[in-house]
Amino acid sequence: MESQLIMYPIVVLLTSASIIPLVKILEDYLKFKRLKELLTMSSIAVCLLFLLTLYKQIPADGHLEVSLLGFNPPFGVQFYVDEFSVYMAVIFCGIGLLVAIFSYRYMEVDTGLDKYYGLLLTLITGMVGVAFAGDLFNLYVFWELMCISSYSLVSFRKYRWEAVEAGFKYLVMSTIGSLVSLYGISLIYGCFKTVNMREIAVRLLLAQNAFEQSAVLSLYLATILIICGFAVTAALVPFHTWLPDAHPAAPASISAMLSGVVIKTSVYAMSRILFTIFSLVPVGGASNSYPVPMVDYGFILIVLGVLTITIANIMIIQQKDLKRFLAFSSIVNMGYIASGFGIAAYLLYHYPGQHYAFKLAVTAASGAIMHILNHAVGKSLLFLYSGCIVHEAKTRDISKIEGIGRKMPVTGISSSIGLFHLAGIPPLAGFWSKLFIVWGGLGLLENTFLVGSTIIVVLNSIYAAGYYVWLMQRIMFNKSSSVVEKVHEAPISMMIPVVLLSTTCISLTILLPWLIPLIENAALALMVGG
Amino acid sequence: MQDLAQLQTIYTATVIVLAAIGLYCIITKRELLKIVIGIEILTSAVNLNIMVMGLSDSGVDALAQSMTVFSMTIGACVAAVALALVVDVFRHYRTTDVRKLRRLKW
Repeated sequence: MESQLIMYPIVVLLTSASIIPLVKILEDYLKFKRLKELLTMSSIAVCLLFLLTLYKQIPADGHLEVSLLGFNPPFGVQFYVDEFSVYMAVIFCGIGLLVAIFSYRYMEVDTGLDKYYGLLLTLITGMVGVAFAGDLFNLYVFWELMCISSYSLVSFRKYRWEAVEAGFKYLVMSTIGSLVSLYGISLIYGCFKTVNMREIAVRLLLAQNAFEQSAVLSLYLATILIICGFAVTAALVPFHTWLPDAHPAAPASISAMLSGVVIKTSVYAMSRILFTIFSLVPVGGASNSYPVPMVDYGFILIVLGVLTITIANIMIIQQKDLKRFLAFSSIVNMGYIASGFGIAAYLLYHYPGQHYAFKLAVTAASGAIMHILNHAVGKSLLFLYSGCIVHEAKTRDISKIEGIGRKMPVTGISSSIGLFHLAGIPPLAGFWSKLFIVWGGLGLLENTFLVGSTIIVVLNSIYAAGYYVWLMQRIMFNKSSSVVEKVHEAPISMMIPVVLLSTTCISLTILLPWLIPLIENAALALMVGG
Repeated sequence: MQDLAQLQTIYTATVIVLAAIGLYCIITKRELLKIVIGIEILTSAVNLNIMVMGLSDSGVDALAQSMTVFSMTIGACVAAVALALVVDVFRHYRTTDVRKLRRLKW
């Protein structure tokens, strides 16, 4: 019974995505135009309920799995669910629900809304599928479902040149990235003759000493290809160039979806594949043994992450467009998440079997996992707020919207909370996730590389706090310009998601004592396995 | 057994050549349709690599075959979206030359 429950969220979302064209016909017949919006919202809400039920049924330090049509591993399609997968799926569906509520008013000027909601649902299905996938190829199929939906959604307003051009650029770069990671997956398949992640880990453990030189070489190559392939969608420097064009070009609701959760999916996929496959956990999980990665992928992740944070921080200061500014800030935050996972893997590789290093690695990984949630909430909030501004003031230029917060007090105050949250001003949850990452990095002072890169991260996050507060000051306190004079507060259905998200920022902070054990469980599920 | 290793080497070389042609095509060509063709060549290279990896004495592994069929389907979907975007680009710019669409920073 429990294992059947795994399929329900995906089935619900896919079914409603496929009946939306029929609902369109029904709408024309009934003369009631809002049926598809209601269907979208209710199906995502039902999916969220299933996920919460599923979370309760996961046994302590365990997992649930189901194989489709009775083909058991090493063959067949397997879904594998532990705390980390459900955690990610809840974030995806939660942000998706708020975006659907926001779209109710924001998208009403557009035509072809049945396609919009259908694609939104397939986008969420793809992400939930990636979170639940138990084998590499299944993950790739859901990954492409997500990617193809997001290409179409970025260029949804095809009457604007910006959307079409950015969409094409996104498509070319992201497709190359997916193909590169598929190439890596095929190399792994060639080594082990299976694509089931658990099965690969077991076979690698059994064969670790009796490996041919060529097989080890292709494993290293596969690791690099998988990291590079998923780094394109994660927008890590030097693969980031599509993001500052694609995210502003999309409708604000879709930018919130893309920046909030779609780019997180790639970090999830990367960390899930690498931690599951290359961590040699003894079967049976003896209590005194710790996972040791076979390949030093943590080093690559730290280098990419620190490079991403630094370069994006330099480029962000030149941005004049609000949405481009937010897009660059997404790149910066992806850098934090990548370096958090990188520090964890680096510690596991270089200090095998040491309890203290393992604890530090868990701390760094929980920091990264918590930052996924914090950034998803904060960045969706700010992109939805930019949607409110575009809806009211019809401009995205930061110098023209100065002082708009006074004219739109509710959304303005909510967005200030979001900016403080992302800046990491101490009591808010955004501070604690960065603290955990830094804590993991500074735990072993004798390691120069780790300490050096962590200090760069710290300096960058202080610098980042500066420009978030600067943006908040310009929006809320500066004298308002002529454009802003006629502006009034956004419609209520656009206000609800913004206010809800800022309430989430505050309640995350209050709920931290209960949240941190959950996140540590997720980190342990990722690193040790259920 | 000797034949199998030889076959694998030949096919792997083909994969590398195909991937190189595809990447070259995407990077250097100025025509949007040719970029789409480059993506397709790269897709075929990766699909062929899955088949090569499934090669054994008794033919190609069934898992590899099913994965390749799925991958081809996905490639067709990507191509469809890409071609639709090329049509939209043509409607805006009356050309499919990449150099003309530099209003965004590449």
